[in-house]
Amino acid sequence: MTTSGPSSLSLSGVFFDGRTSRDRAAALDVTGEDVRLQAEGGLETRWPLTQLRIDPPVPGVRRVLKFPDGSRFETADDAAVTALEARTGRNRALGRVRRLETRWWTALAALALTLAFAWAFVAYGLPALARGAASATPRSVLATFDRETVQVLEEGGYLGPSRLSAARQAHLQAAFRRVAAWADHGYPYRLLLRDGEPEDAPFQLGANAFALPDGTVVLTDQLVALAHNDRELLGVLAHETGHVTGRHTLASVYQGLGLTLLSVAVTGDLISAGTFAAAVPASLLRNGYSRAAETQADEVAGRYLMQAYGTTKPLRDLLARLEEGDRNADENSVEEGSHTADLLQTHPGTAQRIRHLREIETRGR
Amino acid sequence: MTDAPPPAPPGRHDLPPPALAAEREEGEHLPPLPPTVTTYPLTFTGQAGEYFRLWIVNTALSIVTLGVYLPWARVRQRQYFYGHTWLDGQNFEYNANPVALLRGYLIVGAFFLTYSVTANFDSTLWIAGGIGVLFFGLYPWLVMKSLRFVAASTTYRGLRFRYHGKAGGAYLTYGLANIAALLTGGLALPWAWFMQRRYQVQNAAYGSARASFRGDVGDFYVIGLTGLAVGIGGAVLLAVPVFALLFVLSDLPGLGAGSLSLGVLLALLTAYLAFLALYAVAWQYVRAATLRYVLNRVEVGGVVRTGATFSPWRLTWIGVSNTLAQILTLGLATPWAAVRRTRYIAQGVQVRAIASLDDFAADVTPPESALGEAATELLDINLGF
Repeated sequence: MTTSGPSSLSLSGVFFDGRTSRDRAAALDVTGEDVRLQAEGGLETRWPLTQLRIDPPVPGVRRVLKFPDGSRFETADDAAVTALEARTGRNRALGRVRRLETRWWTALAALALTLAFAWAFVAYGLPALARGAASATPRSVLATFDRETVQVLEEGGYLGPSRLSAARQAHLQAAFRRVAAWADHGYPYRLLLRDGEPEDAPFQLGANAFALPDGTVVLTDQLVALAHNDRELLGVLAHETGHVTGRHTLASVYQGLGLTLLSVAVTGDLISAGTFAAAVPASLLRNGYSRAAETQADEVAGRYLMQAYGTTKPLRDLLARLEEGDRNADENSVEEGSHTADLLQTHPGTAQRIRHLREIETRGR
Repeated sequence: MTDAPPPAPPGRHDLPPPALAAEREEGEHLPPLPPTVTTYPLTFTGQAGEYFRLWIVNTALSIVTLGVYLPWARVRQRQYFYGHTWLDGQNFEYNANPVALLRGYLIVGAFFLTYSVTANFDSTLWIAGGIGVLFFGLYPWLVMKSLRFVAASTTYRGLRFRYHGKAGGAYLTYGLANIAALLTGGLALPWAWFMQRRYQVQNAAYGSARASFRGDVGDFYVIGLTGLAVGIGGAVLLAVPVFALLFVLSDLPGLGAGSLSLGVLLALLTAYLAFLALYAVAWQYVRAATLRYVLNRVEVGGVVRTGATFSPWRLTWIGVSNTLAQILTLGLATPWAAVRRTRYIAQGVQVRAIASLDDFAADVTPPESALGEAATELLDINLGF
C-alpha cells in the first residue's frame, strides 16, 4: 500500500470486467472523490467514489470493490480498503463485527455471552414466556384442551369408570364443590372420579390426581383408597385448584413446545446428533420447572387446609403415603433425600414439600 | 467409481514441448495437436481457530438479537468458506443478500410456528394438515428455488454461477422419484439419487457455460449396495456379541431379577447406540462416495472437467468422528469440524481444463428469491450434495 497525502490512496490487485472470467493485474487510485482504475492491457476507467461498492470484510478473505457496470477490483490490501471504508463511512456495522472476530478475547467473551444467554433464556426466559402465553390464552382454548385431553386419556384406556359407590362419589363431589367455591376464579370446575388402573392400560396412573387448564380435576380411585379421611383428599383437590388458577398445565405445555422449537433452531445443522443430545437436558429442565409450580399449588392447598381445619397435616400424611406407597405411612416416614436426587425429581422432594406445609402451618397460627 | 484423473503437475497452461510447437509452426500439414490439459488443484486456506472466532461471534450476535442477525451470520459463515477456497489463483465468493434471507426466514418461521401450534388441537388440526400438504406439494419447487439461489449467489472470477432447472424437472426428480423410492421400499432410491444429481449438475452453469453430467444410474446402485452392505455386515458383526451377552446374562445363576433386567437393559442400550452409529457410518459413506462420483463426472462448457481423488472411506471417518467431537463438546467443535472436512475435500479436488479458465463469458442473471434457500435451511431439507 502506498498512500500519498491524506485523501489519496493507491491499491494494487486484480480486475474483472464482469463479462468474462479474464483476470487482469490492476491498480486503483483514489484521489479525493475520484476513483481511477488502470488495468493490464491499457484499460482505464474513472468512477465517482460514491458509486463504488465495498463488500463487507471477512477475516482472511481478499477484499472486493464493485463498480456499477458489474466490473470489480479485488485486492489483498485490507488496510487500504479499511481506510477507504473509514473515509466513506461504509460497512460500519459489519466492520465492527470483523474486529470482534479477529481477536481471541472478544471471541471468548462471545462464547461466555452465548452460554450465559442460552442458560438464562432456558432457565428464566422460556418459563416466563410460557407463563405469559398461558395467562394470555383465551378461555375457549382452555375448554378445548380439557375436552380433548380427557378424551385421549379415556379412549387410550388410561382412565376407566370409577368403581366407587354412588354414595361415596356424591359425597366427594359435594366436598369438591366446597373447595371449588372457595378457590373460585371463574373457572368451570368439575371433578372426574376415575379408575386409574383399568385393565389393559398402556401405563398405570395409579394413585394420582391432576388438573387440566379449564378446571377439570381428575382423581383416581387408587388415591381415594390411599387416603384415610376426606380432609386429606380435600387437601389434594385444593392443591389441584392451585394448578388451575396458576395455569401451570398450560405453561408446561408451552414450555415443552418452546424447548422443541429451540432445539430445532439450535441444532439445525446437526440432524442426528442434535435431537438425541438435546432431548436429555430438555427433559431435565422441563421437570425442574414444575418444582416452582408444585410449591405454588402447595401454598394454595395449605391456605385452604388452614382455613378449613387449622392444620396442614392431612396433606402431609397423604404425600408421605404417596411417596412410600404404603397405606400405613405418615409424614414422619419420609427421609430427606440427597440434593442431587432432589434435582433430578419431577416434583420437589416429598420431604421438602412436607417441610413447606409445616411452615405454612406455623405461619398460619 | 475409480477414475481418478491422471496425476498432472499443477500450473497454468502447461506449454506443449517446444519441439512439437516448433514443428507445428513450420509444417501446417501435420495433424492437429491433442489439446493441452492443465490441472488446477483446489485449495482451502481457512483456519479452524480463525473460523471459530467468526462462528462464535456471529452465534452470540444471533442470540443477542433474538435471531434477527441470523441471516447475516449465515452469510458471513459461508463467505468465509467460499472466500478461502482458491482455484487457479482466484477465490470464490458468496454474495447472498441477508435481507432477502431474513424475509424468507420470517415467512417459513411463521408457517413452522403455525404448524407446531395447530397440530396440538383436533379442532385446528386441519390448518396443520393444510400446511403439511402445502409443504409436500411445494417441496420440489423449494428445492429448485434453493438451487437457483445458491448458484446465483456464487461468484468466481467476477462471473456468477447460474442454475437453469425448471419446476417440471424438480417435480420429476424430487417429487416423483422420491415417491417411487418410497413405494418400492428403497429399490428405486439409487435411481432417485441419480436423477437428482443429474438434475443438479445438468442445469448448472458458470457464466454462459453449461455443465453436463456423465454419470450412470448403475454406479449409484453400486454406491447404495456398498452402503447397505456396510450396514448389514456391521449389524451382523455387532449382533453376535450382543446376543451372546444377552444369553450369558439370562443364564447366569444367582442373579436377582433386578440385576438381570438392568444387564439386559444395558446390553439393549449399547446395541441401540451401536446401530445408530452404524446407520451414521453407512449414510456418511453414501454421501462421500456420491460426492466423489459426481465430481468425477462433471464437465463445464466442454472444456473443463472436475475430478476428485479423496477417499470416500476417509471422508466417512471424518464425518463420523466430526459428529462425535461435536456431541462431546456440545457443539463447540462445529467450526473445527467444518474446516477439517472442507480442507480434506478441497485437497482432493482438481479441475482439468483444455482451455484457459480466462475464457468464460457472463450470462445475464436475474435476481433470485431467497425463499427456497431459507426453507431448505430451516426445514432441514437435505440436498445431499
